Amino acid sequence: MGQGEAKEESLGSRLLTLFWTVFSISATANSGYAILSVMKDEFVRKRAWFSEDQMADYIAIVQSTPGAMAVNASMIVGYQAAGLLGSLVAVLGCILPPIVVMIVVTYFYEAIVGNEFVYLFMRGMQLGVVGMLLDVILSLVSNVTKNGVAYPIVLIALAFVYVRFLGWPIPFLAVGCVVAGIVKAIVFSKGIERS
Amino acid sequence: MSLLLQTVFAFMRVSVIAFGGAYAAIPLVENEAVAVQGWMTYEQFADLIALDEITPGPIIINSATFVGMRVAGIPGAIAATFGAILIPCALVMLLYSLYDRFKGSAIMDTVMVSLKCMAIALIASTFVRLAMAAFMPEGELPSLVRGCYTIAVMSTGFYLIHKRQISPLPVMLGCGAVNLVVCTLLPAGI
Repeated sequence: MGQGEAKEESLGSRLLTLFWTVFSISATANSGYAILSVMKDEFVRKRAWFSEDQMADYIAIVQSTPGAMAVNASMIVGYQAAGLLGSLVAVLGCILPPIVVMIVVTYFYEAIVGNEFVYLFMRGMQLGVVGMLLDVILSLVSNVTKNGVAYPIVLIALAFVYVRFLGWPIPFLAVGCVVAGIVKAIVFSKGIERS
Repeated sequence: MSLLLQTVFAFMRVSVIAFGGAYAAIPLVENEAVAVQGWMTYEQFADLIALDEITPGPIIINSATFVGMRVAGIPGAIAATFGAILIPCALVMLLYSLYDRFKGSAIMDTVMVSLKCMAIALIASTFVRLAMAAFMPEGELPSLVRGCYTIAVMSTGFYLIHKRQISPLPVMLGCGAVNLVVCTLLPAGI
């Protein structure tokens, strides 16, 4: 479970924190990725439920899985914080706002879609999400470059070209990354004498 | 009942092939709802794209709820969402247990580094697309004032989150409020 320095908290209060954190971002942000930034802030920096390195690993697992990124991240973070019950609570917190909002919006479509104020507010929040993503990207980059810079930088550049310009299916990229990692581990263990 | 089951299965199908973020998912949902199932016309589906711009939440869940709602009302919305999350949640736990079992081994470490590199590329790709969409909402270069304003808000948001470690949620809401006020006050021509 969590890190040694994590504060003693009752299961109930953990579940409440989980639910509220995930719920509040899911009820406001328009991009699923925003949830990563909020989880990092709330669960790593403020509560030390797990370390920044663990969070980086979870992001990698979530990105290797299909489906809604925010839901998958809630699943894994909830599990880490409070077991399967935590997963359930976090996923509920993640899907409840969109379900309710979309049901309401279906009835008030005309009033909301044409509304200039709603549009301007949501557009402004998207500017904030851009900043959140950059923050998540930078902390991931500093995580992967801890033990050597060349390999991760080359791999990031190749993967970026693959995703952004080639647009080929992501599962092949994930398999490629796994293979690259295994090859590197083998080459590395042969090339360097362990003391 | 069979319609609800059909909705669950339709979104299961979509969810297992929806890799790489929300924007990859929309064409998949469209294909399933319009072409495969014939639940709605393309014009009706276009409403969803407009809605996604202005509603919160993960886009796959939004799309599932929207389509499910049209198909079978509120039970349809819940069935579609359930279908959309079931397999991915199981897969993520499967991968997590593999990771948990082998973490610390040399091979697992480099595999995780490699997958984190992929995650960076995926997030960076979304970052570029979001930043471009924010900078050029109409698809063309903005006026000097608007361009500078957009960059200023984005950079301030980033500075507050990254350097000042202010919680992202209030920063994001603040950006929304600032944009609402500034764009309402700014004359349309500028």
